[in-house]
Amino acid sequence: MELFTKLKLLTDPNGASGDELPASNAAAELLRRYTDDVEIDAFGDVIGHISCGDENAPTVMLDAHLDQIGFIVTEITKDGFLRFTTVGGVDGRMLPDSELCVITRRHGIIHGIVGAVPPHLQKGLGKQTDAISMEDMTVDIGMTGEQARSVVSIGDYMCFSGSAMALQHDFVTSRSLDDRACFLCILHALELLKDKKLPVNLLICGSTKEEIGGNGAQYVAERFKPEYAIAVDVTHARTADAPEVTGELAKGPDVSIGFNSRPDFAEKVIETAKKHNIPYQVAACPGRSGTNAWSIQPAGVKTLVLSLPLKYMHSPVEVLRLCDVENTGALLAAVITDFDGRADK
Amino acid sequence: MKELLARLTEMDGVPGFEDEIRDFVVSEAQKHVQSVTVDCVGNVLCFKKGEKAPSSPILLTAHMDEVGFLIKDITKDGMLKVAPAGSIDPRVLIGRRLRVGKNKIPGIISIKAIHLTTPEERKKAPELKSLYIDIGALDREDAEKLVSIGDPAVFDTAFASLGVDCIKAKALDDRVGCAILLKLMEEDIPFDTYFLFSASEEIGCRGAINAVSTIDPGFICVVEGTPAGDVPDTPEHLYSTRLREGAAISLIDGSTIYSRALRDKIIARLDREKIRHQFKLRQTGGNDGAAMIYGTGAKVFGLSVPMRYIHAANSVAYLPDVEDTLSTARVFLEEAASENE
Repeated sequence: MELFTKLKLLTDPNGASGDELPASNAAAELLRRYTDDVEIDAFGDVIGHISCGDENAPTVMLDAHLDQIGFIVTEITKDGFLRFTTVGGVDGRMLPDSELCVITRRHGIIHGIVGAVPPHLQKGLGKQTDAISMEDMTVDIGMTGEQARSVVSIGDYMCFSGSAMALQHDFVTSRSLDDRACFLCILHALELLKDKKLPVNLLICGSTKEEIGGNGAQYVAERFKPEYAIAVDVTHARTADAPEVTGELAKGPDVSIGFNSRPDFAEKVIETAKKHNIPYQVAACPGRSGTNAWSIQPAGVKTLVLSLPLKYMHSPVEVLRLCDVENTGALLAAVITDFDGRADK
Repeated sequence: MKELLARLTEMDGVPGFEDEIRDFVVSEAQKHVQSVTVDCVGNVLCFKKGEKAPSSPILLTAHMDEVGFLIKDITKDGMLKVAPAGSIDPRVLIGRRLRVGKNKIPGIISIKAIHLTTPEERKKAPELKSLYIDIGALDREDAEKLVSIGDPAVFDTAFASLGVDCIKAKALDDRVGCAILLKLMEEDIPFDTYFLFSASEEIGCRGAINAVSTIDPGFICVVEGTPAGDVPDTPEHLYSTRLREGAAISLIDGSTIYSRALRDKIIARLDREKIRHQFKLRQTGGNDGAAMIYGTGAKVFGLSVPMRYIHAANSVAYLPDVEDTLSTARVFLEEAASENE
């Protein structure tokens, strides 16, 4: 199955932090191509084990989070509009007139449009350069108050809608590329490792709730206490409005160096990349990495952050290049096959 | 009506580039009317004979174009800068999918991640000049293989049902008007009538001017989409029109004072037949009624389907309001030139 097809299978289901199950099911299904030992825990974390045959060999955890940013319905107005709060970091400027999926507990998925101020009624309602506050936005689901109350419940989740779409060359746009595209990188690594003798045991994790603090990965790390972990997450790629960003598309996976992405581990990964001619980038990461590596590390794990460059992160139309997915998967596979257990010399 | 709206709204036609809609309208019209002409600015003017000739020509009009963009520039990184064709609030552009040019090349407009912004930055909406369409081109040369300066770009939105009896689509303004005219052209009508599918209304009501000066009508009905501000964050007195209250009838707007006598005559019929209608309460906006000054004088009736989030990728309307607007337009056809009181 080609990469774009697998990506769509992962990114098209909804799965905001705390409501990941549709995404977890899709991830588990794809993971079962590489191991029978796959479980989905009580929180929706997808956990897979691939044994190398030596129970004394170290375990390397490969983690990517499955949750995406989203919204929770807080109120149904008397006229049938929905007010909401955000789950994870949402820039409200993406919202006016956007289309959302409302995941109702009682009636399946319905759609809604986030209310936008009509230009003809601008007078007295602020300038076009003022961003509209999310507190002043509502979601229009095309129903009266009575109809809405019979379908939607307070606490129902909502996500940006939209299916993954190919642009030119190997560019792809979708919501939730952060971070399911990185779960795809892990799957690609497993594809490359199929039928190879592994020097280490693998713990594959598709974790939940990263966007609100990394709880899922934390539980899994505490439960299994792997010796090593690579958190595979997205990082920013330079755009015209973010010229100071060092990461770029098509330059390969980004290796972080700092407290949370161990410098000696990072050095080994860079050596591996050079040895196998895999393009890579490097990023300085002095403190908190903003990834699951931060919540995994306290379980006593030696962590590394390996990132996929991504444009327009946390928007409904994030953009990546599939060559970066392939190279990230290739580097993960090479790091595993070359693993000599001395990443922490 | 729903199927016709689905077809019409998924066609692309920014001002000056209405070909897709024009071709469809011409081929449909030819089945039902006596003459169809296309003029130098792309208007489609249809003439249909009725049971009798009116005292003065009757004109029913809707516009084919939708708001969108033209590609203004291609940056060295292969990003497309845009110039608006029609009035669009840049705040509805962020995170949108669009399609560019005849080959409908897919692209997106977005901005840098929230992590790279400050709370102060997030209080300001980016201006149009800082936004661009990203089609996944490697650089300018690569982009130029697929798109050119001057190419039109439209929102890439699918028509869909929404909630209960509502629909969402791009270009409801004014494909609803086009749909209503197409439906009426299929029927037997009391008076000879001109049906005008105008071009380029969104950039200043230009298309209709040519038609009006050609026909010199005595009675004009403009069938439009109009903003419904009935959402929770708008003060109620600024709603203008509301969904679920029927066809919106104009009093006065930025370009036209509507004929009171004609309006009263039509409303008397609507009340008798219990066809739901409301008034458009705000004086904002304009439409092809503006063209009436290019003839020797006409009574104008302004009729609209209320819709939320007009001039954006996803507009929302209530289907029964569309049917009420169709019924009201039919009453115009019957009453405008009649001798009834």
